[in-house]
Amino acid sequence: MNYILHLLVLLTIYLILSFSLNVLVGYTGLLSLAHAAFYGIGAYTSSLLMIKWKVSFPLALLAGVGMAVLLSLLVAAPSLRLKGDYFVLASLGFQVIVFNVLHNWATLTNGPLGIPGIPKPSIFGVKISSIPAFLAFSSILSACCIFILVGILKSPFGRTLKAIREDELATLALGKHITAFKIQAFVIACGIAAVAGSLYAWYVTFIDPTSFNLNESIFIIAVVLVGGSGNIKGPVVGTLFMILLPEILRFLRIPDTVAANARQMIYGALLIFLMRYRPQGIAGEYKFE
Amino acid sequence: MALELQSITKTFGGIVAVDDVSLTVSEGKITSLIGPNGAGKTTLFNLISGFLKPDKGAIYYNNHHRLDGLPPWKIARLGIGRLFQDVRVFDRLSVLDNVLLAENNPCENPFLSLLQRKKMRRLEKENIKEAGRWLEFVGLSDMRDTLAENLSYGQQKLLAIARLLMGRFDLFLLDEPTAGVNPTMVKPILGLIRRFSNEGKTVIVIEHNMMVVLEISDWVYFLDDGMVVSSGLPDDVLRDATVRKSYLGL
Amino acid sequence: MPSQFIANGIVSGCIFALVALGFGLIYHSTKVFHIAHGVVYTASAYVFYSLLILLHLNLILSFIGTLVFSALFGLILERYIYYPLHKRGASMGVVFISSLGVYTVFVNFIAMLYGNETQILSSSAEKAFHFGSVVLTRIQLVEAAAFLLLSSLTLGFLRLTKWGRLIQALADNPQLVSVIGMDVRKIRLLIFSLGSVLAGFAACLVALDVGMDPRVGMNILLIAAVAVIIGGVKVFEGALVGAFLVGLLQNMVIWQVSAKWEHAVTFVLLIVFLLTRPEGILGERRRLEEA
Repeated sequence: MNYILHLLVLLTIYLILSFSLNVLVGYTGLLSLAHAAFYGIGAYTSSLLMIKWKVSFPLALLAGVGMAVLLSLLVAAPSLRLKGDYFVLASLGFQVIVFNVLHNWATLTNGPLGIPGIPKPSIFGVKISSIPAFLAFSSILSACCIFILVGILKSPFGRTLKAIREDELATLALGKHITAFKIQAFVIACGIAAVAGSLYAWYVTFIDPTSFNLNESIFIIAVVLVGGSGNIKGPVVGTLFMILLPEILRFLRIPDTVAANARQMIYGALLIFLMRYRPQGIAGEYKFE
Repeated sequence: MALELQSITKTFGGIVAVDDVSLTVSEGKITSLIGPNGAGKTTLFNLISGFLKPDKGAIYYNNHHRLDGLPPWKIARLGIGRLFQDVRVFDRLSVLDNVLLAENNPCENPFLSLLQRKKMRRLEKENIKEAGRWLEFVGLSDMRDTLAENLSYGQQKLLAIARLLMGRFDLFLLDEPTAGVNPTMVKPILGLIRRFSNEGKTVIVIEHNMMVVLEISDWVYFLDDGMVVSSGLPDDVLRDATVRKSYLGL
Repeated sequence: MPSQFIANGIVSGCIFALVALGFGLIYHSTKVFHIAHGVVYTASAYVFYSLLILLHLNLILSFIGTLVFSALFGLILERYIYYPLHKRGASMGVVFISSLGVYTVFVNFIAMLYGNETQILSSSAEKAFHFGSVVLTRIQLVEAAAFLLLSSLTLGFLRLTKWGRLIQALADNPQLVSVIGMDVRKIRLLIFSLGSVLAGFAACLVALDVGMDPRVGMNILLIAAVAVIIGGVKVFEGALVGAFLVGLLQNMVIWQVSAKWEHAVTFVLLIVFLLTRPEGILGERRRLEEA
């Protein structure tokens, strides 16, 4: 039973990640390889604040989001006004750098040893420690994020993002400042990803840089592409599929030493297969082409 | 002078696409640009709407707005609307969404749309009403929820025109508005163009159909090889010997 | 900057330049953002290791075997992954994701077979040469020589031979080339095998120098991509300029700050260029947002 609850918690966390990346990939047409980096920035910022300065969890959460928002501008400002390739490269570079910083700046982040003992959030003095309680908590937080994202996407802002994805020239000719829209979309997506980071940190109570590396970014991209993008069904389907996939693979009795590699190979193969034969994923509206 | 081009030159690699072109467009009039393919007409449109930057020269809008050097979206905001040769509707968006996008909605700011939901809903309702009016005007009302990619080419042209109408532009750059359109649709489109002019809007049209040019133009520029070869009233230009020889093959 | 670091920077630059030249060749002429170039590099290093150490072949045979492998690997990727996408008019995003998928699959396959630890090829100390206050090992000198030889051959090929000029034409004007009737398929295959061989060569040298692990490909790929971009859009030589800039700056950071931050340099350099001179050092100044 606990196992199912565990999967459900993971589901809530990854729903936040896939919905937020969907804003970029599915709606605006931006391929970001840095999503795990912002996920990690949220996790590390809130964890460090809570442990070192005893900051309360709502403030820590907000600080994580704020940090992600600030740093996202580092990627967005120079690259989004140029053509797509530059942005992809910048996001890839940023992902690698963030991992390097988390890994090397040991005085701040404890380096490869990670940060143990992350406190669970407490509401009115009650610690949310049991799994069912945490599931309720993460579900609420996740639902809030999704609600915000869906609200934004169904608004004129979302409509313009889709137009940008469809035809940038025509969008410019209608008087829209495309770069500003792209930057806003990027900042929002990265900020929300940071929320998932805090949630993850509170759940596992120990974080280290390897949870937020390029492999993780690739995984999140796979989630969005497998499920399909540009609509609301897609990220849900994709998240379910990709969370359950490793569990199904477990039954194949792949030795532990290579299990991680095998999983990554399957994700890679999925990407190749999807791009070749089914760019819209399982339930997407937008054919990534 | 609604629009004035002064000695505009644009080179690509080794090719001079636009060679020292100067022309003026009067407010409220319909000016046609004619000439063989590759004469530089669409390039001129790209230069005016900001998708290209001229190597030399200046472009002035309403006498004091300098256009060259501005990004395309700013030029559009000044009131210059563009109908592309390849239409460019938003394929996977509905007809209604296509028209709604022409409105530069303050609720396109994501934070505002979250915090001022009531205002957003109200504005949306008004915009949808107005969009509906324009769709009815061009005759696409019953297709409002259809995806733009499912429209016929002629219908997509009408959609693009509806989009222009919604955008409240004052100067229209129409790149071959009647090309590829069902012959029955040509008259309504011309009617629309004439209405723009009657309402004081300025129109510049690139056209290959000489009937259309004769019928609606107040002024014509003939371009060839990136240069203005002849200009004047439609009848005069089309009777000009050089034009007849090089373009009409007569 | 002390001459030792400059020397190291130049040697690093030589290796980066070989990989960047290959990456840039592919990117400029086919517009493919070939992230999998990183795994062509990694795989070549491991093939070299397998031939030299596991199968005990001599140096020359191992080298040749590896280069043949690199060329084949590049060819297969183009034939079965990139060309089908190109034929269907897939966007750069689709091609990129496919490339990323290829990278992921093969890098993890290599890790499964050989493990994640660093593998070195020889534990004996390398012969060192002294040039004043600068010390360079034999392999470093070979790296520099290889760079000089291969880059001149490659650039000479591109500028002076018929096929080379076709590649340049493809870079400048892809539609024109197919109209002229030149077999775009053959040109692309040539481009990918050439680019991959350059990467393979570099991989062997670095393997001899410092060994390898499954992650080396991504690191060098990023450097190559940044080098190509900051070196200059649409100019093959740009990759070289960019590569040496990165090499020198990395070593400056190692000298002034610490070796841990050398990778950050690459990213910072990219950002600076994107902000100030996106067309790159040798690139033509033009509006990159142009329609």
